[in-house]
Amino acid sequence: MAEANLKFRRERLDRGIKARSDTIYVISSYREILYLLLPRVLPVVGLLVLPLVLTGYWGKVLIYACILGLLALSWDFLASCGMFSLGQAFFFGVGSFIAGALAKYLQWPPLLTIPVATLGGGILCAAFLSPVVRLRGIYFAMITLVGPMLFSRLIIATEYLGGSHGLSSLTPFTNKWVPPYLAVGALLVCLFGFRRIINEDYGLVLNAIRDDDRAVMSAAINIYWRKIQALFIAGSVGCFAGAFMTHQYQFVGPSAFALDYSILPLTAAALGGAGTFAGAVFGSLILVPLSEALRVLAGLRITFYCIVLIICIIGLPEGIFHYLQRKYQQFERLTEI
Amino acid sequence: MLEVKNLMVFFENAIALNDLSLEVEKGKIVAVLGSNSAGKTTLMNTISGLLVDMKKKEDRRGGERITLLGALKFEGEDILTIKPSLRVRKGIVLSRERHPVFRESDVVENLKIAGYLTEKHKVKEEMEDVFQLFPHLTKLRHRKAGLLSGGEQQMLAIGMALVARPRLLLMDEPLLGLSPAIQSDLARAIRDIHKKNITILVTEQFARPLMPIIDRGYVIENGMLVISGTREELADNPEVRASYLGV
Repeated sequence: MAEANLKFRRERLDRGIKARSDTIYVISSYREILYLLLPRVLPVVGLLVLPLVLTGYWGKVLIYACILGLLALSWDFLASCGMFSLGQAFFFGVGSFIAGALAKYLQWPPLLTIPVATLGGGILCAAFLSPVVRLRGIYFAMITLVGPMLFSRLIIATEYLGGSHGLSSLTPFTNKWVPPYLAVGALLVCLFGFRRIINEDYGLVLNAIRDDDRAVMSAAINIYWRKIQALFIAGSVGCFAGAFMTHQYQFVGPSAFALDYSILPLTAAALGGAGTFAGAVFGSLILVPLSEALRVLAGLRITFYCIVLIICIIGLPEGIFHYLQRKYQQFERLTEI
Repeated sequence: MLEVKNLMVFFENAIALNDLSLEVEKGKIVAVLGSNSAGKTTLMNTISGLLVDMKKKEDRRGGERITLLGALKFEGEDILTIKPSLRVRKGIVLSRERHPVFRESDVVENLKIAGYLTEKHKVKEEMEDVFQLFPHLTKLRHRKAGLLSGGEQQMLAIGMALVARPRLLLMDEPLLGLSPAIQSDLARAIRDIHKKNITILVTEQFARPLMPIIDRGYVIENGMLVISGTREELADNPEVRASYLGV
């Protein structure tokens, strides 16, 4: 081995098609078109077909996975502009309660409550968090962590919005195809939309804020306003998820602010690979079905789940998606020195 | 004392050090001269072992693949792949580029942390030695390191390396970003350190302030050794005079 080591090293190279499509964009054969399209089309088609195949219990699991995927995307979006959030549950809860209150007290149908909760909730979340955009790193994380606790305790203590019993028997979705396709559709739109945003100039600024906010300030960009915009976008997505689940369960209660909605998206993004959005979706589509499948283990479920997570994070800290992407786009060979 | 033989370092497919060989004799001050991206810092990181640590982390993360080949011998023992902490125990101590200090701790605390390996009562002595070497730091004993000026931080960084009681002291661009007056002060301090029986390997871009104190110099460009020689030989070399002495 030592002998071989002296003469060779492993070299990592981009595949030809990857290099060509990155720069001059020449595609010369069906094989190459397939190479580029497959990783995009396959998951889209897969997600669109899944609701037809999965019905009943596993259909519900799929919807839940998509909703967590949305929360994970929203987390990843905030992380990509330097805001490390521990409070996705805050967005989820705000959306849930807006939709729930509108449906309960004004008898609005889901067609109205969901858009209003999405946009209104986004504005509300951005407004609530706007005083803390000046905080960085751990301080921002702490504030977002206590946000959902504050609201759930407030609702329980004041007995407003149903108090600890919550609001029940809300209007359900009428058509059985609406929930799965709405969830899958929203997930896909968000995934590709976010990937587009982050690759545009707009996303460039957000990424720069993550790397060095003072340097961005010296380029005459108002970083606080940008951060608030990012909070609005991420908040809207989280609120949509909440509003959707309210109508899906026909119930909303303080449990909408549960810690699960903060932690699970984060672990999904960590497992799938942060920073790519696709990784966040990938992670939640693995984690949620896995935790459902582990239900047979009863009490040991969480233990097993934690062990899987620890192994993944230690063994593959770059995330599954980064790993697959690298294997797909690059090859390795031994070169003589 | 230190022997670097046919050292090659690749960062992924880019070559940082290319077949580099050099030797540091016991009790000498040796300089490695080179412009930006010549490979000075990579050389220092390789000798101090930080590169081994970087390589492990990158491998696990699936990031850049670092390839390390060749031989690195310290007093006859091969140290190419051993941990950086073990190398410090053997007496190889690096004072890193851009004077890194613990910003939230004061000067004395910084020196205490750096003296982790030294016995308690000896740390006190070493600290007093540092204050003797840099009298300027004496007044600043209890000032937070983050509030010191660049030159003071550099003095502290060198002091921190000294408290670890090196036998081979590596200094990565100790004069970077300092005024000419402080540069020559530091060069004098380096000579004083050398008098305590410490062998020194120092890198720099601009050779003039160091020229009077070094015994031997190596010039590297793009990771390759281009010129080597004693102080006099280097001072006479027209290329060195033009590029590194500014004459």
